[in-house]
Amino acid sequence: MAESPITPRTRDFAAWYQDVVLQGDMAEPAEIVKGCMVIKANGYAVWELLQRELDTRFKATNHQNMYFPLLIPKSFLEKEAEHVEGFSPELAVVTIAGGKELEELTSSARLRKQSSAISSPSGSKAGATFRCW
Amino acid sequence: VNQWANVIRWELRTRMFLRTTEFLWQEGHTAHATHDEAVEEALRMLDVYAEVAEDVMAMPVIKGVKTRAEKFAGALRSYSIEAMMQNGLALQAGTSHDLGQNFGKAFNVQFQSKEGQLDTVWQTSWGVSTRLIGGLIMSHSDDKGLVLPPKLAPVKAVLVPIYRKDDEKGPVLEAAHRIAKEIGAKVDGREGTSPGAKFFHWERRGVPLVLELGPRDLASNNIVLKRRDTGTKEILPQSEIAARIPAVLDQMQKDLYQAAKDRLQSNTLLANSLSEVESILREVTAEKGCGKFVMAHIKDDPACDARLKEFKATIRNIPLTDQYDGPGKCIITGEPVDRRVVVAKAY
Repeated sequence: MAESPITPRTRDFAAWYQDVVLQGDMAEPAEIVKGCMVIKANGYAVWELLQRELDTRFKATNHQNMYFPLLIPKSFLEKEAEHVEGFSPELAVVTIAGGKELEELTSSARLRKQSSAISSPSGSKAGATFRCW
Repeated sequence: VNQWANVIRWELRTRMFLRTTEFLWQEGHTAHATHDEAVEEALRMLDVYAEVAEDVMAMPVIKGVKTRAEKFAGALRSYSIEAMMQNGLALQAGTSHDLGQNFGKAFNVQFQSKEGQLDTVWQTSWGVSTRLIGGLIMSHSDDKGLVLPPKLAPVKAVLVPIYRKDDEKGPVLEAAHRIAKEIGAKVDGREGTSPGAKFFHWERRGVPLVLELGPRDLASNNIVLKRRDTGTKEILPQSEIAARIPAVLDQMQKDLYQAAKDRLQSNTLLANSLSEVESILREVTAEKGCGKFVMAHIKDDPACDARLKEFKATIRNIPLTDQYDGPGKCIITGEPVDRRVVVAKAY
Protein backbone atom coordinates (compact mmCIF):
# COMPACT_ATOMS: atom_id res chain seq x y z
CA MET A 1 0.00 0.00 0.00
CA ALA A 2 1.28 3.41 -0.91
CA GLU A 3 1.77 5.57 2.13
CA SER A 4 0.08 8.92 1.91
CA PRO A 5 -0.61 11.54 4.56
CA ILE A 6 -3.27 11.03 7.20
CA THR A 7 -5.89 13.77 7.49
CA PRO A 8 -5.67 15.39 10.96
CA ARG A 9 -8.57 14.52 13.26
CA THR A 10 -9.43 18.16 13.82
CA ARG A 11 -9.79 18.85 10.11
CA ASP A 12 -12.14 16.00 9.27
CA PHE A 13 -12.61 13.14 11.70
CA ALA A 14 -14.40 10.91 9.18
CA ALA A 15 -11.62 11.33 6.62
CA TRP A 16 -9.05 10.70 9.37
CA TYR A 17 -10.80 7.43 10.27
CA GLN A 18 -10.80 6.28 6.65
CA ASP A 19 -7.08 7.12 6.35
CA VAL A 20 -6.16 5.29 9.56
CA VAL A 21 -8.07 2.17 8.48
CA LEU A 22 -6.38 2.15 5.07
CA GLN A 23 -2.87 3.14 6.15
CA GLY A 24 -3.01 0.82 9.16
CA ASP A 25 -3.64 -2.08 6.79
CA MET A 26 -6.85 -2.89 8.64
CA ALA A 27 -9.35 -2.97 5.78
CA GLU A 28 -10.18 -1.55 2.39
CA PRO A 29 -13.41 -1.16 0.47
CA ALA A 30 -14.19 -4.18 -1.70
CA GLU A 31 -14.30 -2.35 -4.98
CA ILE A 32 -16.11 -5.13 -6.80
CA VAL A 33 -18.93 -5.38 -4.25
CA LYS A 34 -20.54 -2.14 -3.22
CA GLY A 35 -20.81 -1.58 0.51
CA CYS A 36 -18.56 -4.47 1.46
CA MET A 37 -15.00 -4.43 2.81
CA VAL A 38 -11.94 -6.60 2.61
CA ILE A 39 -10.62 -7.12 6.14
CA LYS A 40 -6.87 -7.08 5.67
CA ALA A 41 -4.27 -9.13 7.55
CA ASN A 42 -3.64 -6.59 10.33
CA GLY A 43 -7.37 -6.05 10.86
CA TYR A 44 -8.19 -9.74 10.81
CA ALA A 45 -5.41 -10.48 13.32
CA VAL A 46 -6.97 -7.92 15.69
CA TRP A 47 -10.37 -9.57 15.19
CA GLU A 48 -8.87 -12.98 15.98
CA LEU A 49 -7.45 -11.67 19.27
CA LEU A 50 -10.77 -10.07 20.13
CA GLN A 51 -12.63 -13.27 19.24
CA ARG A 52 -10.35 -15.25 21.52
CA GLU A 53 -10.95 -12.90 24.45
CA LEU A 54 -14.71 -13.10 23.95
CA ASP A 55 -14.88 -16.81 23.22
CA THR A 56 -12.92 -17.71 26.35
CA ARG A 57 -15.44 -15.76 28.40
CA PHE A 58 -18.43 -17.34 26.61
CA LYS A 59 -17.07 -20.81 27.41
CA ALA A 60 -16.45 -19.76 31.01
CA THR A 61 -20.13 -18.78 31.29
CA ASN A 62 -21.24 -22.17 29.94
CA HIS A 63 -21.92 -21.39 26.30
CA GLN A 64 -20.92 -23.65 23.46
CA ASN A 65 -20.46 -22.77 19.83
CA MET A 66 -22.71 -24.05 17.05
CA TYR A 67 -23.44 -23.02 13.51
CA PHE A 68 -26.85 -22.37 11.99
CA PRO A 69 -27.70 -22.22 8.29
CA LEU A 70 -27.21 -18.99 6.41
CA LEU A 71 -30.46 -19.52 4.51
CA ILE A 72 -33.81 -19.24 6.23
CA PRO A 73 -37.17 -19.96 4.57
CA LYS A 74 -39.06 -16.74 4.01
CA SER A 75 -42.11 -18.12 5.82
CA PHE A 76 -40.10 -18.22 9.07
CA LEU A 77 -39.34 -14.56 8.87
CA GLU A 78 -42.94 -13.76 8.10
CA LYS A 79 -43.90 -15.71 11.20
CA GLU A 80 -41.54 -13.63 13.25
CA ALA A 81 -42.92 -10.44 11.74
CA GLU A 82 -46.44 -11.46 12.80
CA HIS A 83 -45.41 -11.93 16.40
CA VAL A 84 -43.01 -9.09 16.75
CA GLU A 85 -44.32 -5.60 16.37
CA GLY A 86 -42.05 -3.21 14.54
CA PHE A 87 -39.92 -5.91 13.00
CA SER A 88 -38.24 -4.63 9.83
CA PRO A 89 -35.51 -6.85 8.41
CA GLU A 90 -32.86 -5.29 6.20
CA LEU A 91 -32.41 -8.67 4.63
CA ALA A 92 -31.43 -9.95 1.24
CA VAL A 93 -33.52 -12.55 -0.53
CA VAL A 94 -32.26 -15.31 -2.81
CA THR A 95 -34.74 -15.62 -5.63
CA ILE A 96 -32.81 -17.62 -8.20
CA ALA A 97 -30.74 -20.71 -7.58
CA GLY A 98 -29.84 -23.71 -9.69
CA GLY A 99 -31.03 -21.74 -12.68
CA LYS A 100 -34.61 -21.69 -11.42
CA GLU A 101 -36.71 -19.13 -9.62
CA LEU A 102 -37.32 -20.01 -5.99
CA GLU A 103 -40.38 -19.43 -3.88
CA GLU A 104 -39.25 -20.39 -0.42
CA LEU A 105 -35.67 -19.41 0.27
CA THR A 106 -34.48 -16.31 2.00
CA SER A 107 -30.93 -15.42 2.62
CA SER A 108 -30.53 -13.68 5.88
CA ALA A 109 -27.66 -14.28 8.13
CA ARG A 110 -29.22 -11.81 10.43
CA LEU A 111 -31.83 -13.84 12.14
CA ARG A 112 -30.51 -17.29 12.57
CA LYS A 113 -32.30 -17.49 15.85
CA GLN A 114 -35.13 -19.04 13.92
CA SER A 115 -32.91 -22.04 13.40
CA SER A 116 -32.95 -22.63 17.11
CA ALA A 117 -36.70 -23.07 16.94
CA ILE A 118 -36.16 -26.02 14.62
CA SER A 119 -34.10 -27.77 17.22
CA SER A 120 -36.40 -26.94 20.10
CA PRO A 121 -35.70 -28.71 23.33
CA SER A 122 -38.11 -31.44 24.32
CA GLY A 123 -38.57 -33.62 27.36
CA SER A 124 -36.35 -31.42 29.45
CA LYS A 125 -36.72 -31.35 33.18
CA ALA A 126 -38.03 -28.44 35.15
CA GLY A 127 -35.74 -25.66 36.20
CA ALA A 128 -33.19 -26.62 33.61
CA THR A 129 -31.61 -23.80 31.71
CA PHE A 130 -31.36 -24.61 28.07
CA ARG A 131 -28.01 -22.99 27.58
CA CYS A 132 -27.11 -25.62 25.04
CA TRP A 133 -29.54 -26.71 22.43
CA VAL B 1 -25.30 -21.51 22.45
CA ASN B 2 -23.24 -19.11 20.46
CA GLN B 3 -22.26 -18.87 16.84
CA TRP B 4 -19.54 -16.91 15.05
CA ALA B 5 -20.78 -16.00 11.60
CA ASN B 6 -21.07 -13.50 8.80
CA VAL B 7 -24.15 -11.33 8.46
CA ILE B 8 -25.68 -9.49 5.54
CA ARG B 9 -27.63 -6.31 6.12
CA TRP B 10 -28.56 -4.13 3.22
CA GLU B 11 -27.29 -0.67 4.07
CA LEU B 12 -27.52 2.53 2.07
CA ARG B 13 -24.56 4.30 3.56
CA THR B 14 -21.51 2.31 4.53
CA ARG B 15 -18.37 2.97 6.57
CA MET B 16 -15.63 0.39 7.04
CA PHE B 17 -16.09 -1.74 10.18
CA LEU B 18 -18.91 0.51 11.40
CA ARG B 19 -21.56 -0.18 8.81
CA THR B 20 -21.02 -2.54 5.91
CA THR B 21 -23.37 -4.77 3.96
CA GLU B 22 -21.58 -7.87 5.17
CA PHE B 23 -19.86 -8.11 8.54
CA LEU B 24 -18.70 -10.67 11.09
CA TRP B 25 -20.29 -11.14 14.47
CA GLN B 26 -21.20 -13.56 17.18
CA GLU B 27 -24.73 -14.15 18.35
CA GLY B 28 -25.53 -15.95 21.56
CA HIS B 29 -28.93 -17.47 22.26
CA THR B 30 -30.19 -18.99 25.45
CA ALA B 31 -33.52 -20.35 26.71
CA HIS B 32 -34.61 -20.42 30.31
CA ALA B 33 -37.43 -21.75 32.47
CA THR B 34 -38.13 -18.42 34.14
CA HIS B 35 -38.02 -14.76 33.25
CA ASP B 36 -35.72 -13.99 36.19
CA GLU B 37 -33.15 -16.44 34.91
CA ALA B 38 -33.31 -14.91 31.44
CA VAL B 39 -32.79 -11.38 32.77
CA GLU B 40 -29.89 -12.58 34.88
CA GLU B 41 -28.32 -14.15 31.81
CA ALA B 42 -28.83 -11.05 29.62
CA LEU B 43 -27.11 -8.93 32.28
CA ARG B 44 -24.31 -11.45 32.77
CA MET B 45 -23.46 -11.26 29.05
CA LEU B 46 -23.65 -7.46 29.10
CA ASP B 47 -21.05 -7.63 31.88
CA VAL B 48 -18.88 -9.89 29.73
CA TYR B 49 -19.01 -7.33 26.91
CA ALA B 50 -18.24 -4.45 29.26
CA GLU B 51 -15.28 -6.35 30.69
CA VAL B 52 -13.82 -7.06 27.23
CA ALA B 53 -14.41 -3.44 26.16
CA GLU B 54 -12.72 -1.99 29.24
CA ASP B 55 -10.00 -4.51 30.16
CA VAL B 56 -9.04 -5.68 26.68
CA MET B 57 -9.97 -2.84 24.33
CA ALA B 58 -9.15 -0.12 26.92
CA MET B 59 -12.47 1.46 25.93
CA PRO B 60 -14.67 2.66 28.80
CA VAL B 61 -18.38 2.00 28.34
CA ILE B 62 -21.69 2.90 29.93
CA LYS B 63 -23.97 -0.06 30.62
CA GLY B 64 -27.65 0.67 30.35
CA VAL B 65 -31.14 -0.10 29.12
CA LYS B 66 -32.35 1.00 25.68
CA THR B 67 -35.52 3.10 25.54
CA ARG B 68 -38.68 1.48 24.21
CA ALA B 69 -38.20 3.33 20.92
CA GLU B 70 -34.59 2.19 20.54
CA LYS B 71 -34.78 -1.41 21.75
CA PHE B 72 -34.67 -4.43 19.46
CA ALA B 73 -38.24 -4.85 18.22
CA GLY B 74 -38.45 -8.48 19.31
CA ALA B 75 -37.23 -7.85 22.85
CA LEU B 76 -38.96 -6.96 26.09
CA ARG B 77 -35.82 -5.09 27.01
CA SER B 78 -32.53 -4.40 25.30
CA TYR B 79 -29.35 -3.60 27.18
CA SER B 80 -26.33 -1.95 25.59
CA ILE B 81 -22.81 -0.77 26.24
CA GLU B 82 -22.08 2.67 24.80
CA ALA B 83 -18.60 4.07 24.21
CA MET B 84 -17.47 7.57 23.30
CA MET B 85 -15.27 8.01 20.25
CA GLN B 86 -12.62 10.75 20.02
CA ASN B 87 -15.05 12.99 18.14
CA GLY B 88 -17.54 12.67 20.99
CA LEU B 89 -19.97 10.50 19.04
CA ALA B 90 -21.42 7.46 20.75
CA LEU B 91 -20.84 3.95 19.49
CA GLN B 92 -23.13 1.15 20.57
CA ALA B 93 -20.51 -1.52 21.13
CA GLY B 94 -22.64 -4.48 22.17
CA THR B 95 -26.21 -5.45 22.97
CA SER B 96 -27.92 -8.07 25.07
CA HIS B 97 -31.65 -8.71 24.85
CA ASP B 98 -34.28 -10.04 27.19
CA LEU B 99 -36.56 -11.57 24.54
CA GLY B 100 -39.26 -12.64 26.94
CA GLN B 101 -41.44 -15.37 25.42
CA ASN B 102 -41.89 -13.62 22.05
CA PHE B 103 -39.79 -16.02 20.02
CA GLY B 104 -40.74 -19.03 22.10
CA LYS B 105 -44.39 -18.37 21.26
CA ALA B 106 -43.73 -17.61 17.60
CA PHE B 107 -41.85 -20.85 17.11
CA ASN B 108 -43.56 -22.93 19.76
CA VAL B 109 -40.46 -23.66 21.81
CA GLN B 110 -41.68 -25.36 24.96
CA PHE B 111 -40.27 -27.26 27.88
CA GLN B 112 -41.75 -29.52 30.53
CA SER B 113 -41.98 -27.77 33.89
CA LYS B 114 -41.51 -29.28 37.33
CA GLU B 115 -45.26 -29.79 37.55
CA GLY B 116 -45.18 -31.72 34.30
CA GLN B 117 -46.84 -28.99 32.26
CA LEU B 118 -45.62 -27.61 28.98
CA ASP B 119 -44.46 -24.02 29.22
CA THR B 120 -42.96 -21.58 26.72
CA VAL B 121 -39.26 -20.80 27.21
CA TRP B 122 -37.84 -17.38 28.11
CA GLN B 123 -35.02 -16.40 25.78
CA THR B 124 -32.06 -14.06 25.54
CA SER B 125 -29.80 -13.09 22.68
CA TRP B 126 -26.62 -11.08 22.66
CA GLY B 127 -24.08 -10.01 20.10
CA VAL B 128 -21.02 -8.01 19.16
CA SER B 129 -19.48 -7.57 15.75
CA THR B 130 -16.48 -6.33 13.78
CA ARG B 131 -17.93 -2.88 14.57
CA LEU B 132 -15.88 -3.19 17.76
CA ILE B 133 -12.76 -2.77 15.63
CA GLY B 134 -14.10 0.56 14.39
CA GLY B 135 -14.61 1.54 18.04
CA LEU B 136 -11.11 0.43 18.91
CA ILE B 137 -9.62 2.54 16.12
CA MET B 138 -11.65 5.64 16.99
CA SER B 139 -10.81 5.32 20.69
CA HIS B 140 -7.02 5.34 20.56
CA SER B 141 -5.56 6.17 17.17
CA ASP B 142 -3.92 9.53 16.44
CA ASP B 143 -2.83 11.72 13.54
CA LYS B 144 0.15 9.42 12.90
CA GLY B 145 -2.12 6.42 12.37
CA LEU B 146 -3.33 3.37 14.20
CA VAL B 147 -2.78 2.90 17.93
CA LEU B 148 -3.63 -0.51 19.34
CA PRO B 149 -3.87 -1.43 23.01
CA PRO B 150 -1.16 -4.06 23.70
CA LYS B 151 -3.69 -6.79 24.48
CA LEU B 152 -5.08 -6.55 20.93
CA ALA B 153 -1.84 -5.89 19.06
CA PRO B 154 -1.00 -8.85 16.78
CA VAL B 155 2.67 -7.80 16.90
CA LYS B 156 3.72 -6.29 20.23
CA ALA B 157 7.25 -5.20 19.32
CA VAL B 158 9.32 -4.74 16.18
CA LEU B 159 13.10 -4.35 16.19
CA VAL B 160 14.59 -2.12 13.51
CA PRO B 161 18.31 -2.76 12.96
CA ILE B 162 20.32 0.30 11.93
CA TYR B 163 23.57 0.11 10.00
CA ARG B 164 25.30 2.06 7.27
CA LYS B 165 28.44 0.21 6.41
CA ASP B 166 28.74 -3.40 5.38
CA ASP B 167 31.00 -4.26 8.31
CA GLU B 168 28.31 -2.98 10.71
CA LYS B 169 25.55 -5.03 9.15
CA GLY B 170 26.70 -8.48 10.32
CA PRO B 171 27.11 -7.74 14.04
CA VAL B 172 23.96 -5.55 14.20
CA LEU B 173 21.76 -8.17 12.53
CA GLU B 174 23.23 -10.94 14.64
CA ALA B 175 22.48 -9.03 17.86
CA ALA B 176 19.06 -7.95 16.57
CA HIS B 177 17.96 -11.52 15.94
CA ARG B 178 19.37 -12.72 19.26
CA ILE B 179 17.51 -10.03 21.23
CA ALA B 180 14.32 -10.35 19.19
CA LYS B 181 14.22 -14.07 19.83
CA GLU B 182 14.64 -13.53 23.54
CA ILE B 183 11.77 -11.03 23.75
CA GLY B 184 9.45 -12.39 21.05
CA ALA B 185 9.82 -9.37 18.76
CA LYS B 186 9.82 -9.27 15.00
CA VAL B 187 12.96 -8.03 13.20
CA ASP B 188 12.37 -5.73 10.26
CA GLY B 189 15.33 -6.80 8.18
CA ARG B 190 14.03 -5.54 4.85
CA GLU B 191 16.83 -4.56 2.52
CA GLY B 192 16.54 -1.32 0.62
CA THR B 193 14.14 0.29 3.07
CA SER B 194 15.54 3.03 5.28
CA PRO B 195 15.15 2.83 9.09
CA GLY B 196 13.03 5.99 8.92
CA ALA B 197 10.62 4.38 6.47
CA LYS B 198 10.46 1.32 8.70
CA PHE B 199 9.59 3.39 11.80
CA PHE B 200 6.89 5.13 9.79
CA HIS B 201 5.54 1.81 8.53
CA TRP B 202 5.11 0.25 12.00
CA GLU B 203 3.83 3.46 13.53
CA ARG B 204 0.93 3.53 11.07
CA ARG B 205 0.14 -0.10 11.79
CA GLY B 206 -0.18 0.50 15.51
CA VAL B 207 2.65 -1.69 16.78
CA PRO B 208 2.93 -0.74 20.49
CA LEU B 209 6.73 -0.85 20.78
CA VAL B 210 9.50 -0.23 18.28
CA LEU B 211 13.10 -1.03 19.23
CA GLU B 212 16.15 0.47 17.55
CA LEU B 213 19.54 -1.15 17.53
CA GLY B 214 22.55 0.44 15.82
CA PRO B 215 26.35 0.14 15.98
CA ARG B 216 26.60 2.67 18.82
CA ASP B 217 24.01 0.76 20.87
CA LEU B 218 25.92 -2.40 20.17
CA ALA B 219 29.13 -0.86 21.50
CA SER B 220 27.44 0.36 24.68
CA ASN B 221 25.25 -2.76 25.10
CA ASN B 222 22.14 -0.59 24.97
CA ILE B 223 18.91 -0.64 23.01
CA VAL B 224 16.32 2.07 22.29
CA LEU B 225 12.65 1.48 23.08
CA LYS B 226 9.90 3.72 21.67
CA ARG B 227 6.28 3.66 22.78
CA ARG B 228 3.66 4.16 20.05
CA ASP B 229 1.06 6.08 22.06
CA THR B 230 3.29 8.63 23.81
CA GLY B 231 6.21 8.64 21.39
CA THR B 232 8.58 8.50 24.37
CA LYS B 233 11.97 6.89 23.85
CA GLU B 234 14.07 5.23 26.49
CA ILE B 235 17.57 3.87 26.21
CA LEU B 236 18.22 0.86 28.37
CA PRO B 237 20.79 -1.91 28.77
CA GLN B 238 20.11 -4.90 26.52
CA SER B 239 20.13 -7.12 29.59
CA GLU B 240 17.06 -5.32 30.95
CA ILE B 241 14.91 -5.24 27.83
CA ALA B 242 13.22 -8.63 28.36
CA ALA B 243 11.95 -7.59 31.77
CA ARG B 244 11.10 -4.04 30.71
CA ILE B 245 8.82 -4.87 27.76
CA PRO B 246 5.95 -6.53 29.69
CA ALA B 247 6.00 -3.64 32.17
CA VAL B 248 5.81 -1.00 29.42
CA LEU B 249 3.03 -2.86 27.60
CA ASP B 250 1.09 -3.14 30.82
CA GLN B 251 1.52 0.58 31.49
CA MET B 252 0.47 1.45 27.95
CA GLN B 253 -2.70 -0.64 28.28
CA LYS B 254 -3.57 1.23 31.50
CA ASP B 255 -2.68 4.66 30.10
CA LEU B 256 -4.84 4.18 27.00
CA TYR B 257 -7.79 3.24 29.18
CA GLN B 258 -7.23 6.19 31.48
CA ALA B 259 -6.93 8.65 28.58
CA ALA B 260 -10.20 7.35 27.11
CA LYS B 261 -11.87 7.50 30.51
CA ASP B 262 -10.70 11.09 31.08
CA ARG B 263 -12.00 12.06 27.64
CA LEU B 264 -15.37 10.47 28.38
CA GLN B 265 -15.62 12.31 31.68
CA SER B 266 -14.56 15.70 30.39
CA ASN B 267 -17.02 15.41 27.48
CA THR B 268 -19.99 14.41 29.61
CA LEU B 269 -22.23 17.34 30.52
CA LEU B 270 -25.41 17.81 32.52
CA ALA B 271 -28.37 19.59 30.96
CA ASN B 272 -31.60 20.65 32.60
CA SER B 273 -33.61 21.79 29.61
CA LEU B 274 -34.27 20.58 26.09
CA SER B 275 -32.90 23.80 24.58
CA GLU B 276 -29.66 23.23 26.49
CA VAL B 277 -29.40 19.68 25.08
CA GLU B 278 -30.11 20.97 21.60
CA SER B 279 -27.57 23.78 21.78
CA ILE B 280 -24.86 21.34 22.88
CA LEU B 281 -25.58 18.75 20.21
CA ARG B 282 -27.14 20.55 17.25
CA GLU B 283 -23.93 21.24 15.31
CA VAL B 284 -22.19 17.97 16.14
CA THR B 285 -21.28 15.78 13.16
CA ALA B 286 -19.03 12.77 12.63
CA GLU B 287 -16.73 14.98 10.53
CA LYS B 288 -16.51 18.05 12.74
CA GLY B 289 -16.65 16.22 16.06
CA CYS B 290 -17.15 18.15 19.33
CA GLY B 291 -19.71 15.55 20.40
CA LYS B 292 -20.75 15.20 24.01
CA PHE B 293 -22.70 12.82 26.19
CA VAL B 294 -25.46 14.93 27.67
CA MET B 295 -27.00 13.62 30.87
CA ALA B 296 -30.61 14.74 31.21
CA HIS B 297 -33.83 13.62 32.84
CA ILE B 298 -36.00 12.31 30.01
CA LYS B 299 -38.94 9.95 30.16
CA ASP B 300 -38.79 6.58 28.38
CA ASP B 301 -41.51 7.54 25.92
CA PRO B 302 -41.21 7.25 22.10
CA ALA B 303 -42.52 10.83 21.82
CA CYS B 304 -39.44 12.04 23.73
CA ASP B 305 -37.10 10.01 21.50
CA ALA B 306 -38.82 11.57 18.49
CA ARG B 307 -38.29 15.08 19.86
CA LEU B 308 -34.50 14.45 20.10
CA LYS B 309 -34.45 13.01 16.57
CA GLU B 310 -35.35 16.51 15.32
CA PHE B 311 -31.71 17.44 15.82
CA LYS B 312 -30.48 13.89 15.10
CA ALA B 313 -29.67 13.01 18.70
CA THR B 314 -30.74 9.81 20.42
CA ILE B 315 -31.05 8.47 23.91
CA ARG B 316 -28.13 6.04 23.95
CA ASN B 317 -29.30 4.28 27.07
CA ILE B 318 -30.62 4.65 30.57
CA PRO B 319 -27.54 3.81 32.67
CA LEU B 320 -27.80 0.92 35.09
CA THR B 321 -25.70 2.94 37.54
CA ASP B 322 -23.63 6.10 37.30
CA GLN B 323 -22.59 9.17 39.24
CA TYR B 324 -25.53 11.18 37.88
CA ASP B 325 -28.08 8.87 39.48
CA GLY B 326 -31.11 10.48 41.05
CA PRO B 327 -34.71 11.41 40.23
CA GLY B 328 -35.85 14.58 38.49
CA LYS B 329 -38.45 16.00 36.15
CA CYS B 330 -38.47 15.06 32.46
CA ILE B 331 -37.18 18.06 30.49
CA ILE B 332 -39.76 17.34 27.75
CA THR B 333 -42.93 16.19 29.51
CA GLY B 334 -42.31 17.53 33.02
CA GLU B 335 -43.18 14.15 34.51
CA PRO B 336 -41.07 12.66 37.31
CA VAL B 337 -38.37 10.20 36.16
CA ASP B 338 -35.95 8.03 38.11
CA ARG B 339 -32.65 9.13 36.62
CA ARG B 340 -30.75 10.94 33.88
CA VAL B 341 -30.28 9.25 30.50
CA VAL B 342 -27.38 9.53 28.04
CA VAL B 343 -28.22 11.72 25.03
CA ALA B 344 -25.73 11.90 22.15
CA LYS B 345 -25.20 11.76 18.45
CA ALA B 346 -24.11 8.30 17.43
CA TYR B 347 -22.70 6.08 14.70
